[in-house]
Amino acid sequence: MQALVLVAPGKGGQRIVCLNRAAHAGGLSLGELLSNARSKVLDLQIRDADPAADRDALYKLAFWAMRYCPGVAVCDEASGADGLFLDITGAAQLFGGEEGLLADLERRLGSFGLHPRLAVAGTAGAAWALARYGKRNRIVLAPGTEQEGLKDLPLAALRLPEEVLTVLRRLGFRRCGELIDQPRAPFGARFDAPLLSRLDQALGRAPEPLIPVVPPPLYRAQAQFLEPILQQEHVLEAARGLLQSLMQDLARDAVGVRLLRLLLFKLDGAAVSLELGLAAPSRDAQHLAQLIGLRLYRLHSEFETDFGFEAAALHVLTAEDMPERQNQLAIAAHNAAPEELARLIDRLQHRLGAGAVGQLIAQQSHIPERAVRHSKGFSLPKIARSSSPPRPEEPLPWAPDLPAGERPLLLLPRPEAADVVALVPEGPPRQFRWRGVRHQVAYSGGPERIAAEWWRRTGEPTRDYYVVEDTAGRRFWLFRAGLYDRESAAPQWFVHGVFG
Amino acid sequence: MHYRASTSAQFCIPLVKAPLGLTQVPVGRPVAHCGGPTGHGDTAAQSARNPKQGQALDQPGDPRIAKLRRSIAKLETAFFRVTPTTLSLGVPEIHRHLPGPGLACGVLHEVSAASYGDAPAALAFLFALTSMALQAKPGLAMVVLSQRACAHWGRLYGHGLDRLGVDPSRLMLVEAATDKEALWGIEEILRSGVQPAMVAGALARPVELTASRRLNLAAAALAIPLALASPAKAGGESAAATRWRIGTIPASRDRFGALLNPRWRVSLERCRHGRPGTWFVEWNHVAHRFSLVEGLADRSSTQGAGLRVTG
Repeated sequence: MQALVLVAPGKGGQRIVCLNRAAHAGGLSLGELLSNARSKVLDLQIRDADPAADRDALYKLAFWAMRYCPGVAVCDEASGADGLFLDITGAAQLFGGEEGLLADLERRLGSFGLHPRLAVAGTAGAAWALARYGKRNRIVLAPGTEQEGLKDLPLAALRLPEEVLTVLRRLGFRRCGELIDQPRAPFGARFDAPLLSRLDQALGRAPEPLIPVVPPPLYRAQAQFLEPILQQEHVLEAARGLLQSLMQDLARDAVGVRLLRLLLFKLDGAAVSLELGLAAPSRDAQHLAQLIGLRLYRLHSEFETDFGFEAAALHVLTAEDMPERQNQLAIAAHNAAPEELARLIDRLQHRLGAGAVGQLIAQQSHIPERAVRHSKGFSLPKIARSSSPPRPEEPLPWAPDLPAGERPLLLLPRPEAADVVALVPEGPPRQFRWRGVRHQVAYSGGPERIAAEWWRRTGEPTRDYYVVEDTAGRRFWLFRAGLYDRESAAPQWFVHGVFG
Repeated sequence: MHYRASTSAQFCIPLVKAPLGLTQVPVGRPVAHCGGPTGHGDTAAQSARNPKQGQALDQPGDPRIAKLRRSIAKLETAFFRVTPTTLSLGVPEIHRHLPGPGLACGVLHEVSAASYGDAPAALAFLFALTSMALQAKPGLAMVVLSQRACAHWGRLYGHGLDRLGVDPSRLMLVEAATDKEALWGIEEILRSGVQPAMVAGALARPVELTASRRLNLAAAALAIPLALASPAKAGGESAAATRWRIGTIPASRDRFGALLNPRWRVSLERCRHGRPGTWFVEWNHVAHRFSLVEGLADRSSTQGAGLRVTG
């Protein structure tokens, strides 16, 4: 193996920030000047450090580590980078105890070419200290024995700032144990807050919240496979099994799923994450499996190229109250149940895309293109509304006489310019050419004058709309932009819509 | 779960070209019909030659004919209802050409444009049908749009739909990227167990035989009107019960010359158990009904100035 170092600009020139085993064997160390290192090792490979890529890789690994437990946090700058915290509370017995979990983790990381230092302890601080400064790898510290375990470790194991460490060294402290035995009051007066709080965190006297890479789910189920699975059907079958076990928990708490995440862990250390949102809370394993199937169908390219998935987890991220309800009698079943509609919308949205199902909503405006909004998503009518008070943003009713004039069935996304022949500049069109086709006007109705709202000072010209029927009986909605002689000398004509 | 175009059809639906084989009405040739309750163009001439056969068709209430029709329908469809539900068009002259009093529910109906420029008219006719269905039944109308179906002409406009008599708040719009996905969506709606008042679709190209059979099978168990609008391309073989071709004609005017109601040239091109025909209809969005109009409206304003008062 050739010696390889990563360098970054530091004090006095380029300094080593990372090095491999061969470089270490060559006598190099972290923080050394690159010029010194070159003189020690002849065939030294040098690359620039890329902290952003390091961070990305660490996050990717954190996602993968969620195959062991949902609470995975990345060590931040203050607690020393290049590490992960795994909250294995309740997860260890799935892997044959804490030792078993560590062995499994080391084996798998080893297969990715990583050589981890692992430790288990009752507090994050103690685990961090043992992983970095422990005498051997894979130390498991029983809870309550932190003081004992940390006694012989160097002071650096306490995650203290460099200046605090320097002062402590100057005072003659070498080991954590010496510090633990000292009276607290003089230290509190002498040093800033970090010293005592770090000490307390390591010993479990103060809480240390970990910020997981993704918020932990409300409910979860996971499964390991004996052999990696490759096929869509197998993944679906596994998801179905996980759903079955989840639904029991959900039924016990009388809640239904609104947001679900399926995590598929690949053999090569990556994870595929699928999120499924639902239109209404559901506890129907069959329906959810159907939705997962639809999403997997859209994801089929993932299945062709990979080595397969070795584990899967299902997380419920959002759950809503969903009381048990009696099934409708078959006689009354002709009036569709709202759940059926919600399920249909879910299926359509997952197969055709999130914005596929929509509706038209009337808006408070006279400008034609602003008078109607295409909403992405369908608000179920009269479902959960019956008990809740009416919402302030209740959609406007479609009043039959507002606006007063004719409106086309189809509105062009933006008005298209047309060449119009009119007898007088402010008169109705006699003939127009649009999209290369000449239309002889048989009838024109209007004008209907629509001006921009006064509070929008965008300088939009006033429009005069005409309903125009050509000799073939096709009807168009044309407008003249700008009032002749007042707003513009040569008003422009546009086609804005087509009538059926 | 996904829609597959090449599936083995479980049921083979024989296509009956001539209605019941009782009369030799030339199928495929539109029969001109210009008002008058009994005149049938070619058919009238034929029934004069052969009064017995003409009579048999002109009396749809004949119990023997009804019985024969039922037994044929039973042979042809997987699900057969004793009392077939229909969506009434409100025009007896058109109903006489259809097997029942209106558009049969639970089978596919095709609406296509007569020419490229008539695509909005075909869509408007589809929404006129939707409006009648919404009037007849509570519930939503589900409209599945293929992205390229009306991309040339813009997006559906709520107030315009309102002017056609469709309540936009009772519409659920489903937008699909391709025709294939749109057909999947329609089938999913039909099989979902939701009972919408109407299922309508707009496609970029005419529906194929296999796809139309699938839709027929999915719709058969439901009493929902199902109609698909497609552009002016010549439709191939399809298992649709009817195919309507819609062209534009000048709209009706009030006595001041202002446009009132849209009018269309509606030809029934193909109809299983029925006869083709052509009519000029006017759509009244307030009354939610069609009515027959004379062949040509008052065209006086065509020649005159744009805003001439003709009252």
